[in-house]
Amino acid sequence: MLPEFDLLQPRSLPEALEMLSAQRGGALPLAGGTNLVVDLRSGRRRPSLLVDISHLDELCAIRREGDRLVVGGGATIAQILDEPLIAEYAPSVREAARVFANPLVRNRATVGGNLVDGSPAANMPPPLLVLDAEVELSSRDGRRTMPLDDFLRGVRQTARRPDELLTAVRWAIPAPGSATAFYKVGLRKSDAIAVVAVAVLVEQDAAGVCRKARIALGSVAPRVIRAREAESALEGYPLTEERVAEAARLAAAATSPISDIRASAAYRRQVSESLVRRLLLAAREQG
Amino acid sequence: MYTAKPLPEVNLPPLRVVGKPLRRVDALGKTTGALVYAGDFSMPNMLHAKVFRSTQASARIRRLDVSRARALEGVVCVLTADDLPDAKLVTDMPGQTGQKQRKGSDAPVLAADRVRFAGEPIALVAAETLEQAERALELIEVEYEPLPGVFDPLEAMKPGAPVVYEPDNIVARWKIRKGDVEAGFAVADEIVENTFRVPFVDHAYLEPEAGVAWVDGRGVINIRVCTQVVEHFRSIARAVGVPHNKIHVQGTMLGGGFGGKEDITVEIFLALLAKHTRRPVKLVYTREESIQAHSKRHPFIITHRTGVKRNGRITAAEITMVSDAGAYPYLSPYVLLYATIASTGPYRVDNLKVDSVSVATNNPFTSAFRGFGAAQAAVAYEQQMDEIAKRLGLDRLEVRRVNYLKTGDRNTTGQVIRSAAWLEETATRVLEALGEKSEPPNEHVRIGQGFASYWQSYGRITWFHDTSRAWVGLELDGSAVIRCGVPDLGAGQVNSLCQITAEVLGVPLEEITIYSTDSALTPLAGTSTATRQLYMSGNAVYMAASNVRRVLLDRASKYFEEEPENLDLADGKVFVKSDPENALPLAELAGMCAADGLPLSNLALFRAPFTAKLDPENLRGDVFPDFTFGAHGVEVAVDTETGEVTLLKSVACHDVGRAINRAAVVGQIQGGSAQGIGYALMEEVQVKEGIIQTPSLSEYLIPTALDLPITQAFVLESGTGMGPFGAKGIGEPSLTPAAPAVANAVADALGVRIHSLPLTPEKVLAAVRGASEPESGEN
Repeated sequence: MLPEFDLLQPRSLPEALEMLSAQRGGALPLAGGTNLVVDLRSGRRRPSLLVDISHLDELCAIRREGDRLVVGGGATIAQILDEPLIAEYAPSVREAARVFANPLVRNRATVGGNLVDGSPAANMPPPLLVLDAEVELSSRDGRRTMPLDDFLRGVRQTARRPDELLTAVRWAIPAPGSATAFYKVGLRKSDAIAVVAVAVLVEQDAAGVCRKARIALGSVAPRVIRAREAESALEGYPLTEERVAEAARLAAAATSPISDIRASAAYRRQVSESLVRRLLLAAREQG
Repeated sequence: MYTAKPLPEVNLPPLRVVGKPLRRVDALGKTTGALVYAGDFSMPNMLHAKVFRSTQASARIRRLDVSRARALEGVVCVLTADDLPDAKLVTDMPGQTGQKQRKGSDAPVLAADRVRFAGEPIALVAAETLEQAERALELIEVEYEPLPGVFDPLEAMKPGAPVVYEPDNIVARWKIRKGDVEAGFAVADEIVENTFRVPFVDHAYLEPEAGVAWVDGRGVINIRVCTQVVEHFRSIARAVGVPHNKIHVQGTMLGGGFGGKEDITVEIFLALLAKHTRRPVKLVYTREESIQAHSKRHPFIITHRTGVKRNGRITAAEITMVSDAGAYPYLSPYVLLYATIASTGPYRVDNLKVDSVSVATNNPFTSAFRGFGAAQAAVAYEQQMDEIAKRLGLDRLEVRRVNYLKTGDRNTTGQVIRSAAWLEETATRVLEALGEKSEPPNEHVRIGQGFASYWQSYGRITWFHDTSRAWVGLELDGSAVIRCGVPDLGAGQVNSLCQITAEVLGVPLEEITIYSTDSALTPLAGTSTATRQLYMSGNAVYMAASNVRRVLLDRASKYFEEEPENLDLADGKVFVKSDPENALPLAELAGMCAADGLPLSNLALFRAPFTAKLDPENLRGDVFPDFTFGAHGVEVAVDTETGEVTLLKSVACHDVGRAINRAAVVGQIQGGSAQGIGYALMEEVQVKEGIIQTPSLSEYLIPTALDLPITQAFVLESGTGMGPFGAKGIGEPSLTPAAPAVANAVADALGVRIHSLPLTPEKVLAAVRGASEPESGEN
């Protein structure tokens, strides 16, 4: 049963921010609703007001600004999947979108919604974290940006204030010699929550030395995490099998998974290690 | 590589309509949305109902207070056990016979002082709006005193275990003692022993339980509901306290049943609320309530100890089975009976000992599910056959081939197999189609192939003395009407009856209208369960249509001045076989019959073979009308680093006797395969201390289109079945071999076997790493 709430449909972003600000605390923004409506029905969230931002075109653009890509917070997962810029410059982001829920959900769910939901199992944070993406948060009082890594706090916890909207995600197009990879293990091929998800980025110079490494893991900690020790173990060295294996071991050690109905903590840790190794080796070959 | 074994010569009479993949009579209404499913139906002045359920698996109800709910605006009626003294939900065989396995174990319609499983109904609410009904549930106050529960059937059998209901937790036992087991083991070259486990599974039909009930001007309680069994009207009448003829069940087209709508679901609740309020009442379960409220497939623990000669011939088998009956028996004794009889698989075992037991626990109750125990049995016996082959170093087909049952052989209970047993024919077609193993894409992936043969009864247990009735009539314009109480689960049950009538009467399929699934207005056809409707109602319709045909041909004989056997009916005409141009439209023939006062309709009753009940201490004799035989094969890719299993190929081959609608048969095979593959790879209702941990379809996973390759279906027709035109049944059989085939393919890929379903990535990875699986029962 849907609880009672007021629904406002702002005509513009400033109006939306004004509404959120005026109702501080009791209002929630509604975009695709693929998480929120489920929570409303289950009674897990009981807002007095929903501000419907799903029709605000100004939030939906995906564009290139110089050496950066900018994805509007309201861009849908289906848009990510169809966008040539993403296919060309962020194939791992596209891959995460490809294995995102199912076509119906992809048509509604937004990038911003996937991030602000704060789920440790969300698909989009791992590939965005390895790109060092920043999020833009807007409120009536102005805008601030912060690294996605700072934005994600814990299970369903982010740095977003109740009066803020996540209006954009930005990242620099990786330098030449960079490659990324993403893989998600679910319990079926579609419409499955991640049991383990891993994204990696490696940048190699002409001599094959790793200049930059990023490793992100989902569903293995209270939030999607970076494996910084593992990254450090790679940077400045050639990506040999041994070094990659060591990084994978460090990445698995950085996880703090739980056991639940989908898998045990031990399984998640083992698979984290295997996937980090596998994806690093795959990225090494592409770079 | 394997080559398909040539088929024996079969001479089936040519047919005009039967066998063709014609557009089903129910297709257009479903496609356009014109068909009104149970949950889509509304009436003026209608109330909305909700069910208040136990959150405890085992507890005494200390206090139940519904006064605040009753006082809520819009609430019209709240019923508790106090309002319906002694109302019982009969949980034994539905339909005609009502043979009771145990006294005193029927479920109360509403729990009075004791709850035995989480989800047990305690109170009913009817309100002006659904929202008010839901709010009323929140106002019901209940105080529980937790009681010790028992959640494992093995624990439940131990002395001192909490007793779910008196006198003990044993719900049913069956035994088979055949030949000399000791002597059989003494001459064996090897003895192979394994224990296999299968989990709770949900039916996960598209359509959750739903219905609307109202009391009409005659005082009849009408219930428009999705059910597999309109004959429940008798049990409903008893529970509600009215005569049988005051309950009218109007069944709807189902969005799937699979056994989950074989037991009573919403009917009694609706009837009670309609009776108390004298207003129409609607009750539709949400998916979450459906998962909590209806039966589950029985978990089984099955141990096989098999003695074999070096050539693979089975010399003796000892099989034990334990099933979890959950909190109330429902159909557990009969599911266990099916499993017991199917336990050996389609193999000749002359020295056999089977001991099976079904045990009450405080888990969700378990009952019918497509395959009805025989599917669980197949998961065990087909993995055991592969393990025997592995131990002996024999080919997996060879070890089966030397043991396959043949026509004329006696089965587990000594029943003679009378129809074709095309086991090698079906298995070799599957293996040939699987072909060479695919190349693995990289070093992390291993490819495996597996197959499974099976047998599955069609038609009910013959000591139930099963019958079906059908009425067929020709209208004066040459169109035809069928009246038959058959519920259509979505599998094409009513279409088959139309195609049979079209064949017999020569009326085009699109000129036939069928009225079905009504407990008062259509002749009772029995349950749409047990793969029985084509066999039972197909024969009843065939008989009724044939009786009408006889009248038509006799009258036409006078008109054409030809013997009736020289005449035929087709394409809406009667004609002389030797001179088809010499024809008369059926409408004109019908007019002549009417003018002569001849009967243009017929009501027929078909009886299955009747046998006596067997001795549960040693099942000897006939139990089923007949069996369907076939095989399923799959190829899998196993990721050894993540444990993920990907289906690459799926092939099924079944002898269906005779296909009535080939497209519907292939649809059944592909649907059954999907459900069986889900059983093998991902489906499990996880239950912890009696509480379901997979309460919705985001936790309880069933396969999606991306998880399933298209199953290639080979439809063989021996023409030897007991159904119309020699048909067998395919509803349940299509599922049965799929899960063991997947399990065998995964074991083939890994070189080790996982002894419990589902084969989750976690279990697969543990097997790869050689870690001991917690619930592994290998010896």
